[in-house]
Amino acid sequence: MAGHNMAAPGFSQSYDPFAELSRHDDDADALDFEDTYDGLGDQLDETDDAFNDDTFGGEAISSSNAPVGRDFDFFGSTAKVANAMEEEYVRFNRQPPAPRAAATAASTSTNYGLPGYNQASYPPRPARTGYEKYKDPEPTADLQVDASIWGTAPKKAATPAAANPSQYAPPPAGRKMMSLEEVEAAMHAAKPAVMPQPQVQAQHPPHFASPQPQVQFQSQPPPQFGRQDSVDYRYQQPEGQSQVFQSHDVRHTAQAQGGPHGHPITILQRPSSKPVPAGPSMSSSLPQQQQHLQQPSMSGPTQILQNPSRMSGDAARMGYPAQPTHPMHQMHRSQNSFSRQPQAVSHPAQLPAMSDQDKATYLEAEARRAKRNHKIYILSKDNGLMTPHDKSFITRIQLQQLVSATGDPNEYGTDAALAEDFYYQVHSSLAAQRPNPSQPLNNFAQTYLFQTGNRHGGMRRHNRGPENHMQRMEQQVQRAVEAAKNKPKNKQLVIEGSLGKISFSNAKTPKPLLNIKRTESGTEVNRPASTHHRTPAATGVTDRKVTLRAIESVYMILMKMEDHERTMPPLANGDTDQESVERQSEWQLVAEKLNNQLWDALKVHEPIGANAVHPFIAFISYPKGKKVIPRVFRQLSHEQRTTILTLIVVHLDQLDVVQGAQVQSGEPINLSAAMRESIEAFSMAVMPCLFNLLNDTELHIVTAVLGIIIQKLSIDTIARTRIGISMLTMILSRAEIIKEAGLANEQAWQQWVVQFNDFFNHLEPTLPNIFPGSVTSGEDVYVWQFLAAIGIGASPDEQQRLVLAVKDRVMDTVALSKTLPADMAKQRLDNVNLFMRSIGLDVELLQ
Amino acid sequence: MSEGEEGPASEPLDLVRLCLNEEVYVKLRGDRELKGRLHAYDSHMNLVLSDVEETIYVVDDEENDEGDEKIRVEDDQEIKSVTKKSEMLFVRGDSVVLVSPIEKS
Repeated sequence: MAGHNMAAPGFSQSYDPFAELSRHDDDADALDFEDTYDGLGDQLDETDDAFNDDTFGGEAISSSNAPVGRDFDFFGSTAKVANAMEEEYVRFNRQPPAPRAAATAASTSTNYGLPGYNQASYPPRPARTGYEKYKDPEPTADLQVDASIWGTAPKKAATPAAANPSQYAPPPAGRKMMSLEEVEAAMHAAKPAVMPQPQVQAQHPPHFASPQPQVQFQSQPPPQFGRQDSVDYRYQQPEGQSQVFQSHDVRHTAQAQGGPHGHPITILQRPSSKPVPAGPSMSSSLPQQQQHLQQPSMSGPTQILQNPSRMSGDAARMGYPAQPTHPMHQMHRSQNSFSRQPQAVSHPAQLPAMSDQDKATYLEAEARRAKRNHKIYILSKDNGLMTPHDKSFITRIQLQQLVSATGDPNEYGTDAALAEDFYYQVHSSLAAQRPNPSQPLNNFAQTYLFQTGNRHGGMRRHNRGPENHMQRMEQQVQRAVEAAKNKPKNKQLVIEGSLGKISFSNAKTPKPLLNIKRTESGTEVNRPASTHHRTPAATGVTDRKVTLRAIESVYMILMKMEDHERTMPPLANGDTDQESVERQSEWQLVAEKLNNQLWDALKVHEPIGANAVHPFIAFISYPKGKKVIPRVFRQLSHEQRTTILTLIVVHLDQLDVVQGAQVQSGEPINLSAAMRESIEAFSMAVMPCLFNLLNDTELHIVTAVLGIIIQKLSIDTIARTRIGISMLTMILSRAEIIKEAGLANEQAWQQWVVQFNDFFNHLEPTLPNIFPGSVTSGEDVYVWQFLAAIGIGASPDEQQRLVLAVKDRVMDTVALSKTLPADMAKQRLDNVNLFMRSIGLDVELLQ
Repeated sequence: MSEGEEGPASEPLDLVRLCLNEEVYVKLRGDRELKGRLHAYDSHMNLVLSDVEETIYVVDDEENDEGDEKIRVEDDQEIKSVTKKSEMLFVRGDSVVLVSPIEKS
């Protein structure tokens, strides 16, 4: 029984119970029926029961839910199918036989028992027109399932999951039709009917069959209709109706093993539907069924049913409710799914009962319908022949054809990157070939566009072998991409009548909207500029963040350097200790590296003038930037420090402490707290560094620094700020110190003097205004220091001019000091004296 | 203006780091705000601030009994702000809602 389709709906219901019974028969001759009955009821296979609906057609009071007992609904579910069939019969009977009566004659002759039966069974249900069921596709589907089941039914026969045999053996099912007594009587009658089962295997079919028909005839035959079809069909076989089945029979006979397992259900059903021929035909059909049982995998129907979904789909398309009287149609059905013969057979039998007019209309309608059915059949006989898999295969072949047809072997593209934008390629190829939208799609486009959709749809609907499909799809895409590669590569398209060329583009090389030819040298010059420089218009926020980040990185590097300093290995004192020397050089390497990092982070080497504010100047505009300078200076070489000094001097007027700290003489000093703080920080952090640095520099550097100030900066601006003045003081005093120390050679000194004279000339106009605030503000110490520095270095002529320029302030301060407390007055006068003494004077002289 | 080895901020707190020693605005739970110089922070957003100005927004309790308090607040502008100044402040991180640099004008 291996290999049959467990999911094939319904047939297990018909056969299982009896297979179970026959098994029991092996065990004992004297079986108590009641025991068998009750025990088997519990063994119902729920899985198979799930298909009861399919088998019996409808919502089905399913046996899986209902307890199996004496009140089992023997035919209720089946009756629904039967009713549907009955209704079909009624409908057919009302109409005279179609022109294809001759064709149906053969089947009619085989089903001679049916007409009489139908007429007999019809009267009990005259009230029901039942057409609502007929309109409903449901009954058709049910019937179809029934028919297809027939083919595989034998396979399931011996499945242990069996329904109770008594469900079928006593067919008193029609609850409405029978009284309780009748039911009981039927049950009792069923006992003997079941018991003889062993005899079936012993090849005594007539004996077995005889009691059964009686019971069924007494009770309600309609429930058997669903199976009757198949039984009928079998009966037709010996009479040469179905060539296919005959050959199948032959095959089976050849393979026959004299099967011991009879197939009881057919035996039971046959008598019910065809009481008269039951005896003679039984002997011929029974062996077939037994062989069926033995060789299920070899049987034709089984093979067909292995693809049940296709079969049912086929059947549905064929429109089964229609009259299956066309010979071809019949043949098809017999080959595929054992369609209902009884309908066709019963139909002519009803003809005589109709009026002539009815007959005529019926015949006409029937002819039309037959014609249509035939057409449908012709069209649809191959429906479902191809699985979605097959379809996708065909589609792929088509696509391949397209590829080979449209690909241009002459222009083989080298751009492998096209694989990345396949859809764009397709799109552009379509667009390129159809410059005019109203123009119909060419063959490639059409086929491609329409086929793809189908292919995708098919894949989505049927998930069979998705991986395989995916693989093939990939291959497909690959091929298509290749085709796209091979497509015409001409970058331009000249449309007839157009004035210009249309250039194509793809993802990698977008269509150039501007085509400006650049010389190679131009590119060279421009590129570094564009990549390296931030545009001056860069947002302040970005600058701010960048600067802040630079400051943080400087702090990080500084911490590393300071940490590294601590791990400095002891100096190898002349020792040739290889290890310590190595360690020393290693440490040195790391230190250098860190120094370089620091230098980079300080951004001192950024080109001057590239930005609105030099990065380093921005750097020291932050308090924490200023504060870090002393630490930075410790880590830097003299050269680096000098560079920083130069940088600061060059940008002196851009320093925040200069730019925003202009003070006017005679006016109250209105610097913000933040600015004061900033100035203080600069004075405390940066200035000492610069001062120390300057103290180590040669005169020529000092001269150069002063030269820079004179040339590049507005002395007026600088001189009005505390930082600027301090810076100048620092420079001037350094020169004086060098001179006094006698470190300067004559030439250098001469240069300095020239520079200084130049400076003084620039400064002179500003001198009266360099004092911050009013006399009373008392914040002018640094100015007196500055003046002193000038005074020392100045020539007598310059000293005189100097005195003239600041005379007022000196007098005011001396006057003010008289009004102040003694200590404050002394402080003021001392400040003034810084200057006075530098030029050989003293405030005492003024008092 | 290249960043050198220092890439972009790799974690959110790197941005807070940029605010070190800078004036920051800190919003706290309980309708409080701080403005001050950030000196230190940690991963819990514990902060050390100096020169802090703390603003506490208080709704006047007067109308609290009535249900339409909120409406009254909007209509009558009964939100009051209390300002405190602290030289140095430790802020526990669990109350910090946001930290923002103050753009100097």
